[in-house]
Amino acid sequence: MSTETLDTVSPAEETGLLSRSGVLRRLMRDKVAAVAGLSLTLIVLAAVFAPVVAPYDPYLTDLTKVMQPPSAEHWFGTDNTGRDILSRVLFGTRNTLMLGLIGVIIGGFLGGVLGILAAYYPRADGWIMRLVDVMLAFPAILIGLAVAAIFGAGLTAVVIALVVATVPDVARVARGSAVGVMGQEFMEAGRAVGVSDRTLIWRYLTLNCISTIFVFLTLRFGQIILIGSALGFLGMGAQPPTAELGMMAAQGRDFLFMAPHIATIPSFAIFVIVLAANLLGDAFRDVLDPRLQQ
Amino acid sequence: MGRQIVHRLLVSFPALLGVLFLCFCLLQVVPADPAMIIAGPEAKAETIAAIRLELGLDRPIPIQFAEYIGRVLRGDLGRSIISNKMVSEELALTIGPTIELMLGGMLLAVPIGLTLGTLAAVRRGTIVDRFIMAFSVAGVSMPVFFIGLILIQYMGFQWGLFPFTGRTGPIWDGGLPSLVLPALTLGSVLIGPIARLTRTAVLEVLGADFVRTARAKGLRETVVIVHHALRNALIPVVTLIGLQAAFLLGGAVVTETMFSWPGVGRLAVGAIVSSDFPTAQGAIMILAIAFLSINLLVDILYVYLDPRVQRT
Repeated sequence: MSTETLDTVSPAEETGLLSRSGVLRRLMRDKVAAVAGLSLTLIVLAAVFAPVVAPYDPYLTDLTKVMQPPSAEHWFGTDNTGRDILSRVLFGTRNTLMLGLIGVIIGGFLGGVLGILAAYYPRADGWIMRLVDVMLAFPAILIGLAVAAIFGAGLTAVVIALVVATVPDVARVARGSAVGVMGQEFMEAGRAVGVSDRTLIWRYLTLNCISTIFVFLTLRFGQIILIGSALGFLGMGAQPPTAELGMMAAQGRDFLFMAPHIATIPSFAIFVIVLAANLLGDAFRDVLDPRLQQ
Repeated sequence: MGRQIVHRLLVSFPALLGVLFLCFCLLQVVPADPAMIIAGPEAKAETIAAIRLELGLDRPIPIQFAEYIGRVLRGDLGRSIISNKMVSEELALTIGPTIELMLGGMLLAVPIGLTLGTLAAVRRGTIVDRFIMAFSVAGVSMPVFFIGLILIQYMGFQWGLFPFTGRTGPIWDGGLPSLVLPALTLGSVLIGPIARLTRTAVLEVLGADFVRTARAKGLRETVVIVHHALRNALIPVVTLIGLQAAFLLGGAVVTETMFSWPGVGRLAVGAIVSSDFPTAQGAIMILAIAFLSINLLVDILYVYLDPRVQRT
């Protein structure tokens, strides 16, 4: 019996993320999720096309138009150096989203690999999970502070903090899910007919765990954005004049009593992004993986 | 129970070593030579060499790490490069306000979160439930500093209700008003997650047999909810509140910075901004150890609350 025939019955195809029919349809049936998904799509599009959409240059200062409240000319007003806040929010969203995405993707990949390997190789399990425990001992903000202290504040410090914040939780979820798959009969069958470790890990194990990991990552995305923007707010992330939402809020804080919109608009933007991500994550979980519901 | 706690202590030992190592790295991998920073830009080569020798920077890394652990155990965390004060003294001054702030935030968040969560579970599916859940999702999605900005702007500046910069003193000595806004800021971040977790936990318990029995006995509904349902729902909630410790700690760092609250978080941020590595290292270490201790405490509390854990 060749492995090809086995591969065709590999259950990954049944439970795999992409092949699940009607996921999108079921998501759209949930009105809150639909609105959240639409908002997030619009936000992402606006961020991606920020250079095209933004009405002004986000770095152009105009000292004759300092701290103007929102108006027809400047929808979100201008900041303390006369820069257009709408344009800065668009570019800021771009940077903030990028940070979150990079953190979640790298962290999700590393965490997923660790968790799956821990489940597949019982001998490595103890070591991997101990490493994960040590990582869990550091709240993300602390990692950000430590990395910023060592290498200097900047986007790299934030990305490292976000990755470290993502890895241990993902590793736990991935391991939990993979241990469940390991107990399935098709794993034993695969091994009995001599499928290689590589194929077992990738086609049998990973493809069956991926939807759980994906759902978990969407659930975490909002939190990751919050951590990233908090680090930006503390001055550990993007450095001026780069627009990043958390850092913009921190800069606006100095002018809070004269022009509150400088600080509150970027903060509100973060709130909207995270809210949309959280609502969408919840909906994804309900549709794709009800087991995670807690 | 004793064995459980000892086991838990042993498990957290590697984590503690990790914390120490990271803090040690902080003193090692600095972009600039610490001896050169201390000596100043115009120091002679001999002065730098002398300082390097004094700090033990010429010895191999593992030995330096062992020595470092020895120093930490003796409570010697070095001197601040900026103020030249002992780091341990600075930490002793700032740890109190940080604990005060965290306790204040928890004291606000836990009762409100528990009440909202229980209410949402009991009134499941009604408008009350939906409203509370919408409120807590919004809370979970809110950056700490957004809440802080709004509180400073309105309750602090416009309405002049409470002071919003610094700490006027300990709570027992007229310091309470200055604690209100920072504690509210930190606490409001926790209300959402606690309410959500409580709702799920209470819902699970409400379906249990003993709740049905309690009702069948003819107990009043409030007694059933508070004594039977909530009491048992508290077990997962306590652990999950423990998981929020990271939230609490991160929130405290941001809150302290916003309100110029003289705590460890603000000390850490200030030290990093001014490249004061010894102080940064000490502050980060204390925060990490605080985090480990909270988790340990939660685990112990868990064993105490749920006697079943002991047997497994």
